[in-house]
Amino acid sequence: MPVSKYFSSSLHSVYNKNARQYSSSHKNTTNAHDINDQFTDWETLNKKKSISKPMKAYLERAREHDDFMKKQQIEYNIGKRHLTNMMGEDPETFTQRDVDRAIEYLFPSGIYDPAARPLMKPPEEVFPARKAAEFDEAGRPHHFLFYTGKPNFFQLLFDAAEHLENLHKFEDKVLRNKAIPEQKSKLDLSSGVWVSKDQLEIMLVETISDLEYDNFKLVMERLVSTPYSYRCIDFIEKFRKPLASQKFALEIPKPSFDEEGRAYITTYECLRKKARGDVTIHSPGTGKIIINGKDITYFEDIQSREQVIFPLIFTGLQNRVDVECNIEGGGPSGQAGAIRWGIAWGLRSFVDKSMLESMQVAGLLTRDHRRRERKKPGQPGARKKPTWKRR
Amino acid sequence: MFPRIILNRIFKNVTIIPRYNSTAAKPLEHSDNNEVILKAKSSPLDHPDYFQVHSLFNVKDLFDARVHFGHKEGSLNELMAPYLYGSRQGHLIFDLDVTAEHLRRALNFTAHIAYRGGIICFFNRNALNAHIVEKTALECGEYAHTRFWKGGIFTNANHQFGAITRLPDLCIFLNTQNNILNQHTAVRDCAKMLIPSIGIVDTNCNPNLITYPVPGNDDTPVAVELYCKLFKGAIQRGKEARLKFLQEAEEQGTFA
Repeated sequence: MPVSKYFSSSLHSVYNKNARQYSSSHKNTTNAHDINDQFTDWETLNKKKSISKPMKAYLERAREHDDFMKKQQIEYNIGKRHLTNMMGEDPETFTQRDVDRAIEYLFPSGIYDPAARPLMKPPEEVFPARKAAEFDEAGRPHHFLFYTGKPNFFQLLFDAAEHLENLHKFEDKVLRNKAIPEQKSKLDLSSGVWVSKDQLEIMLVETISDLEYDNFKLVMERLVSTPYSYRCIDFIEKFRKPLASQKFALEIPKPSFDEEGRAYITTYECLRKKARGDVTIHSPGTGKIIINGKDITYFEDIQSREQVIFPLIFTGLQNRVDVECNIEGGGPSGQAGAIRWGIAWGLRSFVDKSMLESMQVAGLLTRDHRRRERKKPGQPGARKKPTWKRR
Repeated sequence: MFPRIILNRIFKNVTIIPRYNSTAAKPLEHSDNNEVILKAKSSPLDHPDYFQVHSLFNVKDLFDARVHFGHKEGSLNELMAPYLYGSRQGHLIFDLDVTAEHLRRALNFTAHIAYRGGIICFFNRNALNAHIVEKTALECGEYAHTRFWKGGIFTNANHQFGAITRLPDLCIFLNTQNNILNQHTAVRDCAKMLIPSIGIVDTNCNPNLITYPVPGNDDTPVAVELYCKLFKGAIQRGKEARLKFLQEAEEQGTFA
């Protein structure tokens, strides 16, 4: 009987008497023969609670894994000690950060992808987490979806369906009571996105296919679009992550104050083409603009002047702040562009949130990374070709 | 279309129809002898209905849950003919007396498996009913598989799960079809691995490989809800009896 050898004795009699005559030469090996007819449960009858085969195999694997990790930990500690000696530092205060620094110093690498550069991390970070035993001593799995092979993922889908059902029930109840729908029933999720497939896999400790990830997103979108979805916001938030750029925009520096009590903020590294410089904004001011010691007439052409004052006009602060900048390198348009970005970047500290958003939309806060394209051999310019003549 | 003559012949008397090549367990003739039931037996297996599962439902419940509705005549699997009562407006109708008998046998078996601490796994590939099936499994502390069936979960279990794995001791199929055309692979795999199975078989299904086929409607949510309720009830009765037995055994110190 290949069903489950360790258990077949218990069900043996059930099959025989209740179902049909399975031909089986299996001997009953339980030690309490007197009550066999009454109750032939292998796991119950064995007083010693001997461990089931799956559990034994798991314990063996767990022990192997522990040994392996222990070995890795020892190797890591030795490596760390060597690094400390090489760097001539105190082993007591040598942290993981110092290890990273030492590795970067001793094994300089120009490989583009940081993940491919040499690294030395503690073994628990390098080797992925493993699932603990998924069944008890009797061999019964802990999880009710164990046989699907991906219990955690399907549990997630099950939970989502459960929430959906509850929301539908709640909606019905509201309608029956003829209550006015609550105002905050719509969920605002513009500030984040669903966790990526990789992150979800790490969360669930399971590998999922692209199709399954699409299913996950589909069911979550459906849950969100349901009225009253705010009621299961906790569940939804578990699988959201904030948008990086939004988070970055929130980190607006507080202005400092000079001896006259005026707020000022300096933006360094204002770059555009080959121009680089820094921009300082003083508030309150009278609209004075100083560029390398000169006023706006530093730029001779109108277009560059317009570029410089555009963020001030856009925010309506042209007569209320003073701007001072040092700029070098590049030509007039590059310098003007660098100053424009620097002013806009500095003005973030002096405008309200809605203005910040419209500045973002207007493209004032976006860096322009375009550089001069190199000249190609065999042609007069970057793109320009010699005059084409058929013959 | 099913030939009218054959239909008439078949449906005149249900009981005399031979059950062709079915490997299914034959239902016992129902015994009304109260003495037999009341007589205390030493082993639960000697009792025809130790867990009183016949009290879980009656034929009216089945009728109310629309268990009697089959598919259209044209889709009939001939092996299902013995379980039919007739046909109405082109739709086949199950004989609920026969269904009730089979269902009681299945429930009794389920309760016995639960009594002995067996693993019970629910199956269903109908997305409409998948959630309630999973919920039932969760509520009675058993297992469910309502997703895509990866081949070899039973037949190659140690490889699939990466370890020696105990397989279910009973599989309950709340529908046995993947879609209208194909049978669920797990039905075949259960038979291969000698895992007993209970299956709700509709008129378009093949009951051959199922140990305890229960003829009935497997699509309607109300019907599936009823099945879930009944199997849950049977499992709970089995588990309660098991708990009681274990406690008694503990007190008596049988295993000392």
